Amino acid sequence: MNQPFLRADEITRRHFITNAARTYLGVHLLPMLGASLAGAAPTGAAAAAKAKHVIYLFMAGGMSHLDTFDPKPKRKTVMGPTETIPTSSDDIQIGHYLSHTAKVMDECCVINSMNSKQGAHEQGSYIMHTSYNMLGTIRHPSLGSWVLKLGGRLHPELPGFVAVNTSPELTGGGFFGAKYAAAPIGNPEEGLQDCRRPAEVAEEDFARRLALADKLNRRFHERYPNTDVGSYEELYQEATRLMHSKDLAAFDLSQESQATRNLYGKGRFAQGCLLARRLVQHGVRFVEVQLGGWDTHYDNFTGVAGRCREFDQAFAALITDLKKTGKLADTLVVVATEFGRTPEIKSEHSDGRDHHPGAFSCLLAGAGIKGGMRYGETDATGNKVRKDPVSVQDFNATIAHALGLPHDLVLMSPSKRPFRMADTGKPILNVFA
Amino acid sequence: MKRFLLKTLCILPALPALSLAAEPSQRPDLALLRKEAQAIDAHIANSLRRRQLAAPKDADDATFLRRSFLVATGRIPTFEESRAFLEINDPDKRAMLVGYLLNSPGHASHMSNWAFDLLRLTDGRVDTSATNEPYREWVREAMDQNMPWDQFTNALLASSGDGWDPQSAAVGYYTRDRGMPLDNISNTMRIFLGKRMECAQCHDDPFGTTERMDFYQLAAFTHGQEPIRRNHMAPLWRELEQGREAQGESYRLARVLWERVYGMSLQDGGEGRIQLPSDYQYRDARPGDWVGGRTPFGRTVRSSDKKSANDGRKQLADWVTRRAGDPFPAVIANRLWQRVMGTGIYEPVDEYRSPDKTHAAELLRHLSELMVRLQYDMRAFQHTLMLTRTFGFETNPEPSKIHGADDFHGRKIKRLTAEQVWDSLITLANGNPDLQPRRTADPRILVDGRPVLVGKKTMSELSREVLALESESQVREYFQRLLNEVRSGSSSSSNAPAMSMMAANRPLHRPGASDLVRASELPSPAPRGHLLYLFGQSDREVVEAASLEPNVSQVLSLLNGFVQKRLVNSPDAHLYKSLEGAANDTDRVRQLCIAILSRPPDETELPWMLQEIRDRGEEGYRNLVSALILSSEFLFLP
Repeated sequence: MNQPFLRADEITRRHFITNAARTYLGVHLLPMLGASLAGAAPTGAAAAAKAKHVIYLFMAGGMSHLDTFDPKPKRKTVMGPTETIPTSSDDIQIGHYLSHTAKVMDECCVINSMNSKQGAHEQGSYIMHTSYNMLGTIRHPSLGSWVLKLGGRLHPELPGFVAVNTSPELTGGGFFGAKYAAAPIGNPEEGLQDCRRPAEVAEEDFARRLALADKLNRRFHERYPNTDVGSYEELYQEATRLMHSKDLAAFDLSQESQATRNLYGKGRFAQGCLLARRLVQHGVRFVEVQLGGWDTHYDNFTGVAGRCREFDQAFAALITDLKKTGKLADTLVVVATEFGRTPEIKSEHSDGRDHHPGAFSCLLAGAGIKGGMRYGETDATGNKVRKDPVSVQDFNATIAHALGLPHDLVLMSPSKRPFRMADTGKPILNVFA
Repeated sequence: MKRFLLKTLCILPALPALSLAAEPSQRPDLALLRKEAQAIDAHIANSLRRRQLAAPKDADDATFLRRSFLVATGRIPTFEESRAFLEINDPDKRAMLVGYLLNSPGHASHMSNWAFDLLRLTDGRVDTSATNEPYREWVREAMDQNMPWDQFTNALLASSGDGWDPQSAAVGYYTRDRGMPLDNISNTMRIFLGKRMECAQCHDDPFGTTERMDFYQLAAFTHGQEPIRRNHMAPLWRELEQGREAQGESYRLARVLWERVYGMSLQDGGEGRIQLPSDYQYRDARPGDWVGGRTPFGRTVRSSDKKSANDGRKQLADWVTRRAGDPFPAVIANRLWQRVMGTGIYEPVDEYRSPDKTHAAELLRHLSELMVRLQYDMRAFQHTLMLTRTFGFETNPEPSKIHGADDFHGRKIKRLTAEQVWDSLITLANGNPDLQPRRTADPRILVDGRPVLVGKKTMSELSREVLALESESQVREYFQRLLNEVRSGSSSSSNAPAMSMMAANRPLHRPGASDLVRASELPSPAPRGHLLYLFGQSDREVVEAASLEPNVSQVLSLLNGFVQKRLVNSPDAHLYKSLEGAANDTDRVRQLCIAILSRPPDETELPWMLQEIRDRGEEGYRNLVSALILSSEFLFLP
């Protein structure tokens, strides 16, 4: 088997040493990590890092940057009916659909200079989640899996990576395997389904079932030694550890006061944000929550208004609530999307906007990120990036940096190819306070 | 003796067609398919010989049985079906099984899941009350009828007309993507011809040969996807939309017309020309220039940039199915090979490779030709593959030795798809799931979810009438009349018998997410949180987005969730019913094992299975059922 791959976990503890050595001495203590590290940017992040958790909010479909976080108030032709409103930060103006969000912008850093070359949903969301282009021959691990792999989990029993309402393709463990895949949650109100032993099954019988299955599996595995099969068997241990956890209440939204629930608002995304807050409080490392429907080719302004209704109150509540509970200090909140939308408004599609990977906006907040700041700039119509371009890989490297994880550490896939959490991206150090 | 046993088994209601004698005559001749299967085996034998590999052994009967059921019908066999097959002693029983399965309704259900993934067929659309359900029903019917792939493709790509008319409901292929015609044409190329052109939507493809101009010339054919005569309603709609609050009821009813009637229709036949986008960046033309249609490969088809051709979609459909050359038959042949054999001859299957650039050039060419010879009969093609010895090879747990391709050296082990897991579990819970009727689209006129004019007018009648209106004043008049009818009818319709008006149609059958019916008959996609979601069903937003990745929620649902509630702990479960005739514990344990794993326990397993029953009695059976379903053997296709 592939040693470097298998041993990645053991070396995570040691990677800080490696990083320090690389930064200060310019040498690698672990030669197996590969020579390709030579040119990588110095990380030196471990000491500065404040984030322990990530809440990653993914706006699936391509969020219009112009109508949300990169409005161009002087250009009526670009803005259509969208108006611009001031926020709690003098430097930031946003679209009028986001009145709650406006109040917490002093906690957020808007990155207006995101850009990529991937103008199709599948490829765009894939690269955002993995830092790599989609290939037919390999599945890359998603961000949450990288964070687990490099940083380890914080709670011994709860899943390290939870995905609420996401597409399974984007939250898989890729070549790291099932241990690093997200535990999916379809409906936040229901929490993690089936995580308790049914009342009618005695503890003894439950143990017997697992023992019997194990016997069957051993036979099957002998006959068909196969890694995919093996990864399921590992999951049984994972599942039973989880079932015995005292912290299962982390998944139970009914334990929140009605006032808190109302603060976030109704809907799957809103309650997903609340669940994310509960989960990080209980020690879950990485929570992704998806809000779909941003693909506003047709009637963009009605579409954006609808999406913002789902997003606005929930996001503001999340920031406020995290701050109140003290968790904003060590939780990085990310708002990401696969691309922006065209400045051009297509009247033949009832005022729609098409895909626009050339320029789009993402958001960072919490965990040592400078609030009330804009980074990067697009031109007068939001068409192209004019200043401080940020690639998808840079963005992901910044997430890694906030967590103190070595975004440039090379890990080998089972097919013996080298991969890094942020490929060749470099963190944007200016966004850190 | 052998014949006698066969005859007995054929009386079993579960296996009505195991006797192939009653094959309808229009189906391709079995002898011919066998000959074709042998030709394929010869190619495989050559390939293995060239690589100095020994041919794998044949899989045992139990493996063949389970594999065939899962591949052809997407579910495991019931206990009765397994026993019938395992106990027959006929040298021809494998071929008989394959024929039975491919002609069963389960096959069409399984193919429908595949088509839904390929076509991104969701029931609903975002931010509109328009639905894809009539289109879904059209696709489902096409799979039931085994519509040849070229006709299917043609019907989708050349579609035009009323979205509620079963004759033209294929317009859903375009209206599903209303407002994003460029993504639609990218997907068309990917699905039917295995060409990835989405990069060229915005720029020349730096790695390929496709230029942005090529893309627009192709998009020209399908340009112009307006709803039928919706402009006649536009003034009325704008008035009502502005007064949304004040005119509640009329606004809601107008919305039905605007979104669910007009919004689901497709006017004309495609312009055949298109204007270049405002950010067109190359020197060969200026933004805003009109370009005519030109197909990028195969036998070139062109259309004028001067005037609308009005048959662009038809021209495109004709080119894809008849003039684009080898990619059309080759892509579907490889897709079906992957479906039947587990691994594509090359993968990914939606990136066409010319045979010479694969390790199996002759086989690929042969399969393309076979597809054409069989006149794109997908069932006959899969039948041929399932008759090969290659299909029946023993399982090889090692991944393919050839990167991104099938090495033909034994079948590769693969987790069941979400739909296969679900359809197998409901088989254990309810027995053969294919005796239930198909899902129907809701034919009623729904105003904000509330049915109106029930028994008086269906959605397709409404659609037909509205789309025939020829002026703004006609629309206004019709709308006023309709509004009055709804207002006066709303009190009386509530006590009208719910579905009596469905006489002309099949009865309404619309299972909800908690019903134990085939995945193909559930809402599409199944709601988040459903077992299908946990096991990676595609959300049907992008082409073939299903996932086989494991996660902890799947295991929890097998341990404590659906499986415990609807199977292990449910005395009514079909799987327990099969125990009723058993004489003793040994028989019962054997039967459970056959019901769940399609094989009897071997001599090492039986003793500890029996020990469990001795230790725990009744509960022991439940423990055993739970463990068998938890086992990897249940979850993986051998």
